[in-house]
Amino acid sequence: MALFSLALGRLSQALLLLAVMSVIGFAGIHAVGNPVFNVVNIETATAEDIRRATVALGLDQPLWRQYLVFIGNVIGGNFGTSYIYHLPASELLLSKLPATLELACVAMLVAAPLGTGLGLVAGWRTGTLLDRIILRTSVFALSLPSFWLAMMLILGGAVLTGWFPSGGRGTTADLLGGQWSVATADGIWHLILPALALAIPNIALIARLARSGTIEAQGLEFSRFCRAKGLPARRILLRHTLPNIAVPIVTIIGLQFGGMLAFAVVVESIFAWPGVGKLLIDSIQLLDRPVVMATLTFISVAFVALNALVDLFHAVLDPRVRLST
Amino acid sequence: MTLTTRRRPLLLSMLLTLAAQAGALSALLVGMAGPAAAQEELRIATSYKLMTLDPQYANLNENNSLLSQIYERLIYQDEHLALTPGLAVSWRAPSDTQWEFKLRPGVRFHDGSPFTADDVIYSIDRIRNFLKPPGEGFREYLSGIKSVSAPDPLTVIIDTEGNVPDLPLSFSSIFVMHRPAQGFQSTEELNGGAVPIGTGPYRFDSWSSGETLKLIRNDGYWGRMPTWPAVLFRIIESPAARVAALTTGDVDLADSIPARDVQSLKQRGVKVESIGAARVNFLQFDVASDTAPGITTKSGEVIGNPFKDPRVRRALAMATDRSVLVDKILSGYGTPAAQFFPNGLPGTSRTLNPETPDYETAKALVASAGYPDGFRVVLAGPVGRYPGDGESLQAVAQSWARIGVSVEPVAAPFSVFNTKRAAGDYGIWYGGCSGEAVDVILDALLASPDPKRGLGALNFGHYRNAAFDTMLAKAESLQDGLERDAALATATEFVMADQPIIPLYHFHHIVGFGPKVGSYVMHPRGWTTAMQTIPVTE
Repeated sequence: MALFSLALGRLSQALLLLAVMSVIGFAGIHAVGNPVFNVVNIETATAEDIRRATVALGLDQPLWRQYLVFIGNVIGGNFGTSYIYHLPASELLLSKLPATLELACVAMLVAAPLGTGLGLVAGWRTGTLLDRIILRTSVFALSLPSFWLAMMLILGGAVLTGWFPSGGRGTTADLLGGQWSVATADGIWHLILPALALAIPNIALIARLARSGTIEAQGLEFSRFCRAKGLPARRILLRHTLPNIAVPIVTIIGLQFGGMLAFAVVVESIFAWPGVGKLLIDSIQLLDRPVVMATLTFISVAFVALNALVDLFHAVLDPRVRLST
Repeated sequence: MTLTTRRRPLLLSMLLTLAAQAGALSALLVGMAGPAAAQEELRIATSYKLMTLDPQYANLNENNSLLSQIYERLIYQDEHLALTPGLAVSWRAPSDTQWEFKLRPGVRFHDGSPFTADDVIYSIDRIRNFLKPPGEGFREYLSGIKSVSAPDPLTVIIDTEGNVPDLPLSFSSIFVMHRPAQGFQSTEELNGGAVPIGTGPYRFDSWSSGETLKLIRNDGYWGRMPTWPAVLFRIIESPAARVAALTTGDVDLADSIPARDVQSLKQRGVKVESIGAARVNFLQFDVASDTAPGITTKSGEVIGNPFKDPRVRRALAMATDRSVLVDKILSGYGTPAAQFFPNGLPGTSRTLNPETPDYETAKALVASAGYPDGFRVVLAGPVGRYPGDGESLQAVAQSWARIGVSVEPVAAPFSVFNTKRAAGDYGIWYGGCSGEAVDVILDALLASPDPKRGLGALNFGHYRNAAFDTMLAKAESLQDGLERDAALATATEFVMADQPIIPLYHFHHIVGFGPKVGSYVMHPRGWTTAMQTIPVTE
């Protein structure tokens, strides 16, 4: 019963969030400018052409009515047709989703274990040369602007050495109705640099979090007890320290993963990796409201779902959470 | 070869190199003449994002550039913008209100069916009667048509409302589609999986919006045989990413190269071609309002609109240093402008040449117009739309400061800029315009606004000059030829004396290409196609 009310509370929060987001997104795009100038050729269209196009897109209506029409359509499962691409907005979003999913998953699969591992080692060996190296490097990696990092990876990995391609998704293969780069060798080859560009700051972030957690945990009684018991260091770290510091790490992984799905714009643009982030920023620039709204909705739902997953994970990791619910 | 295979695993690349060498060797042995490079797929990085597969939906270069390889037009424009035969072999006007087009025999669509007059009628009908807003980008081109008929399968007769001498020019923009078994093909069908059928040198293979367009050679093409068996267009909008893809050999050709990257590309052995674009970037004034937004005295008091006075416009033109724009901002890949097309193209004047700045005279002129202390203006412009747009505002501000006019540059994203410009929020702004002929630009920018006749679409400054309108209309009533060009040049000279606009520069289209490509035929319209890409021959 408690679980049920928890889920219900979560759901109503999520719906409220979606409603607020849709109003802000809708009004925001409207405030930026009139999309009709991106639909017609501004250099040849006459005032009459522009007026007719405005009416056809429903942009002549007052904003509140446009919003009601939009909400009505969304409840019917229809986000509308992209002003620019003349394809259903949800279809456009779905076609970009595999690119983003595979990029974010690969980046996180690299970042999470590597970051945690480095953090554990650094925290265990506090003050040693290794710790200082990890600490300094992570500060450096965190303060790099992502566009610069991406450009440097292209310069080093593609332009100067020629080891990797400079951008694009390479060969994709059809899998579960989407086009995936991870399904082909050429695609994986193309995936490496952009995944690194996304992973490096996250490795640093997770490593710092894990390090401070480890240092803290080492001072606690259970760690001292383990050491007194004569357990090997590896066992203490992996079996006792790690579960105790896991909650904040899992939380940050969840948040960062959501961020990668939605806002990997810079990396996606520089590597010409056509994903959701690039779709969002392109659509905002072209004022393609149906696509912007579909993408924002997807992002909000993804964040809500990820947060719920993270909470669920807390329960798995931390017996106290399990007992309290 | 090494460039293209670098990204593959070593063993695979060695195998491929071996195979390619063996292939080249055997080709040599049997004495095949074909160039080896042309046997491979051509990969092009383009900035033109294809937004729809419907060639008649929106008249945007973003669509037309890539679709022009699948679909064809009755008439083409060569590198000097002269009309040349396309799907029509000849055309003539039997009377003032009639045009006759003779179609090319023996042309087949990609599905094997023959191209006939019926397809032309269908294409005209589809634009005029089937496509609804916002998908009516080409309707304006066909607005003068009264009726279309076909006395035989290779002749199209078009009756017009009154005299429409530039109808052939209009048809250089209209893509011909194939009449389906029944009804009309809708935009949704074309975008949603129906294979686009044209007569062009390349057949459609696949499209992924915002990512790639794949084309395959049309072996039954009527004209010069397309050289590349397959073409992969990669849509890469970020200029840095396009340059990187070209540098690493991921693509064989890239368009819209930023001028500042040309030098380093050349050092890496990339070849570069460029041509002055058939377009102009300019500063435009609000010449009609009594007070213009953002125009004040230096201390911030609102004043009357100084741009109503031709002397002020003239002075500002004299104080604009175009050489800074062209040499510094565009790194030499631009031509200073005094009119609307680069000098030498049809319809341009010989006597209008870019002036060197004369700050003393300009300052005196501003003073004589009643502004001895100068004034303050907000100069608006889009950013990231045209080469050098944002930086030009800064450069102009520096030039004009020398005659006492202080400028506050305000750059905005193109869509924001457009909304504000249309709403009359600007007093002076930076803009751009292109067209298939110079009178298209004159119609849009300087003709008195007349929605019925489609004039003055870009005349946001509300410039009205009855004498110029008459001259322009007279020139446009003439048949395509030297007389029309001369009349357009005279009209341009006449109107530029009034300085309703300050032409700044014609930027250059720049493409770069790698070892597989021998040369690239530049065209002032700046589209990027595989037909213009000539393979290297050894």
